[in-house]
Amino acid sequence: MRTAGGEPTDRETMRAEYERRMGAIRRDFDSDGDGLVAIAARSALVDNLVSRLWAAEVEGDAALAKGMVVAATGGYGRAQLFPCSDIDLLFCANKGEAEHAKDAIRRVSQALWDCGMQVSPVTRKVSECERFSLANAEFGLALLDRRMIAGDAAVFARLNEKIREKMMARDVKTIRAEIVSLTRERHAKYGDTLFHLEPNIKDCPGGLRDANVYGWLRMLEGTSPSGGEFEDAVRFLAATRCFLHYRHERDDNTLDWRAQDAAAELSVGVGRVRLPGGVDPAYWMRAYFRHARAVERSLLREFESNGLALATVEVRRVKLAGVEGFRLKDGRLILDAAGNVDPATEPETVLAVFEAMAKTGARLDGESEQRIGAAIPQLSANLEEGPGLWRRLSAILTGERAGVALRAMHTLGLLDLILPEFHGIDALVIRDAYHRYTVDEHTFVVIDTLHGLEADPGPKAPEWRVKLGSMLRELQNPGLLYLAALLHDTGKGRAGGHHAVESAQMAKGVLARLEMDAYDAALVLRLIETHLEMSAALRRDIFDADTVRTFVGRVQTHELLRMLTLFTYADIQAVHPDALTPWKAENLWRLSMNASNQLDRNVDEERVHAGGKDERIVRVLALLPGAQAAAERFLEGFPERYLKTRPPEAIRQHFEMTRRFDEEPFQISFQHGASTSEITLVTQDRPRLFAGMAAALAAWGMNVVTAEAYANEAGVVVDSFRFTDTFRTLELNASERERFVASVRDLVAGKASVEKMLSGRKRGKRRAPRVSVTTKIDFDETASSHSTLMQVVAQDVPGLLRAMSVTLSALGHNVEVALVDTEGETAIDVFYLTHGGHQLNGEQESELRDALIEAIAENAR
Amino acid sequence: MQKIEAVIQPSKLDAVKDALVELGVLGITIFEVRGHGRQKGHTEFYRGREYAVDLLPKIKLELVVAEEMVEKAIQAIITAARTGRIGDGKIFVSKIDEAIRIRNDERGEIAL
Repeated sequence: MRTAGGEPTDRETMRAEYERRMGAIRRDFDSDGDGLVAIAARSALVDNLVSRLWAAEVEGDAALAKGMVVAATGGYGRAQLFPCSDIDLLFCANKGEAEHAKDAIRRVSQALWDCGMQVSPVTRKVSECERFSLANAEFGLALLDRRMIAGDAAVFARLNEKIREKMMARDVKTIRAEIVSLTRERHAKYGDTLFHLEPNIKDCPGGLRDANVYGWLRMLEGTSPSGGEFEDAVRFLAATRCFLHYRHERDDNTLDWRAQDAAAELSVGVGRVRLPGGVDPAYWMRAYFRHARAVERSLLREFESNGLALATVEVRRVKLAGVEGFRLKDGRLILDAAGNVDPATEPETVLAVFEAMAKTGARLDGESEQRIGAAIPQLSANLEEGPGLWRRLSAILTGERAGVALRAMHTLGLLDLILPEFHGIDALVIRDAYHRYTVDEHTFVVIDTLHGLEADPGPKAPEWRVKLGSMLRELQNPGLLYLAALLHDTGKGRAGGHHAVESAQMAKGVLARLEMDAYDAALVLRLIETHLEMSAALRRDIFDADTVRTFVGRVQTHELLRMLTLFTYADIQAVHPDALTPWKAENLWRLSMNASNQLDRNVDEERVHAGGKDERIVRVLALLPGAQAAAERFLEGFPERYLKTRPPEAIRQHFEMTRRFDEEPFQISFQHGASTSEITLVTQDRPRLFAGMAAALAAWGMNVVTAEAYANEAGVVVDSFRFTDTFRTLELNASERERFVASVRDLVAGKASVEKMLSGRKRGKRRAPRVSVTTKIDFDETASSHSTLMQVVAQDVPGLLRAMSVTLSALGHNVEVALVDTEGETAIDVFYLTHGGHQLNGEQESELRDALIEAIAENAR
Repeated sequence: MQKIEAVIQPSKLDAVKDALVELGVLGITIFEVRGHGRQKGHTEFYRGREYAVDLLPKIKLELVVAEEMVEKAIQAIITAARTGRIGDGKIFVSKIDEAIRIRNDERGEIAL
């Protein structure tokens, strides 16, 4: 059979021709890698075959020449037929012609199937195409991309007119709403992120479907897609999808690891010339993510200009006090217009914008976003590091919507500017069968998950969920946990060693630039270094004493244990939505509880023997060349907890303080911090030292958060107290800090009277506690061979530590080791006590219990 | 064909799984469960508060094997999961009348 023009329409010939020309299209693609050319060429090929088949039908039945049109819709309508895409054909009749054309439509469709195409034919009257039906939204959207292939042009003109004047004009709001709904649904299926390790390049956020959505929205407002990065992105994605179709030989758009390797080897989409040997797969995937981001960005801007919101997260109503250079209006953060200086170039203003974003979840308006993006070089020149930057970063990290702000900062390059260490994990694919997201996105999901714990867990929440929520709320400085979370996987961007060690190594630079307090910096580093320890322990028997002891040996403090528990929960959850089952979460909580119970049990028993080859001792000694023998004597006999929890630099400082005993026997170091401050006393052991320090801090109105008291074999004590400044005395009066240190020294040395100072203090009215804690005192004689362990759990109120330590002194008990901790409104204090160099006997324990209960009650009144 | 159900310590899962795979067992179903046998529960104190630990975490495995494999599979599980302490777990064995592969309706041992 042939058409009037002499072209064959018999199935064998058409199939051969289709296969031959498809082969030519593929050869062209293999040679030039241009996906857009390939999909246009396939569309043209199918147009030709459809036209010929319809022409043959019309030749056989002249009645078909009038009243029927054959149109392409959907991707075919856009003339973008990927190698294995379905072919959406609309046989549209003016009125009742469709019934007459039924056999012809069947034959045309059958012929196309026989050629090897997946055809989806639809037959409709024009009048059936003038309404957008929610019941068949996909068809309505496909109609937006329609193109005449063959048949009666008058019918197509009428179809066009009806769609434009009826459907698009009347139902435009419904169409837009349905586009939003379908897009949200599709994005949610992919976790609302484009950063998947094996993305579906059609349906994932930032994929070709998003490019179509962008095109539809532009069409509905009467404009065409803009060029630039969007056009480049579509070109890249088109090439990649063609590659995947040829590779998989079906409409499978999953960019799996093997496909990534193959695409990188062929440098698919990366320039017109295929590079010999291809490119590195990690580089190629970054190119993919860059283009996907461009598509997503274009789509978000289009949503914004249409007054639509893709994100389902509501903007929180938070009052932003004292902000300058920007405003929050209609749920958008908008930079002020540029005056003499553009606010977009001012780091303080820009960071304040992201702080507001982290608090509210509001996004930047398109213009502000572009201005900040363009101002990155000036921001880089103007950015000042140090404590001010840490304050801002901490405020961003602890904002409830930190994830929104961090992702926006990352996209604009601002996060990389502040933390160049983060650049190495930008869109980094790590091939791990359990992970779902790229390393940077995984990091943001960890932070989102932690913030998720802030929400009310509800009355039916399991115990572990309630406990984790309160654990997070009770952290003294949650910014440290979030900073560790932000940096924990940066080491994955470096080739070589264990990523936890590499990440900690990289974090050192960050902490130094932020000029963080030594204690806080050490905590962040230890959290990063040990961030896999709890997951590892969970794979062992969590009720086995050895497992718990080994884990505890790595953690050492309650503060780190709490942070590690929270971090591990979030880290597992962020691997994959199904990775953390309730079973696993409960095991995590049980392990945390077991470890907490074990944590303070053997501190007095496990002592440093400086002659050993412990790596930590070696590190301390390395800092003290020429004084190694004296330093070894200093370390001898301290509890191992001291060596394991203090950075070598801090231990060096304590050692050097002992060398100044001749000048001043009560050596004190003081570090003022924004949230907590630390004071350390190094001196020769004598009675009532710990009580004296606790009393001195109470006299100054300081609230002790944690404290540790250790002594070495030579009787040198190191007592450290971390405290909050209840009345902000030291924060508001920097000059008072020196007086504070001198006063504490005098009070500890007995040169001034604590009682006199305390009597001169007016005690403010205490607020009622939110949680009432009953005092509980336990003794354990088995934890140490020579001292008695006493654990006191009580309501945390100012002066508590003083009240307890004064009672201990009054009864003649010596504090060998003290480990003071606070969890929200609960104080949990552990003391290793001796009396006359021996463990306490039953009578002494009983007397002490009664005295402490009375002293604690008296202090609370 | 027999079904073997084994309740084991979670920390022994990898060892048991490896032993069964080594033996040629093709399919295993794994459940995260809680329970207690003679081990019973106990009470823990955490920071001054008391918590009951009455149901302990366990892993339950289910596998259906041909008759000649049953004893070997049981021995493999015992060898890999035994520590000699209370709480090592239990194995239950029961007869299976039929196995059907949904994909192609194959029946009997070939469907395992």
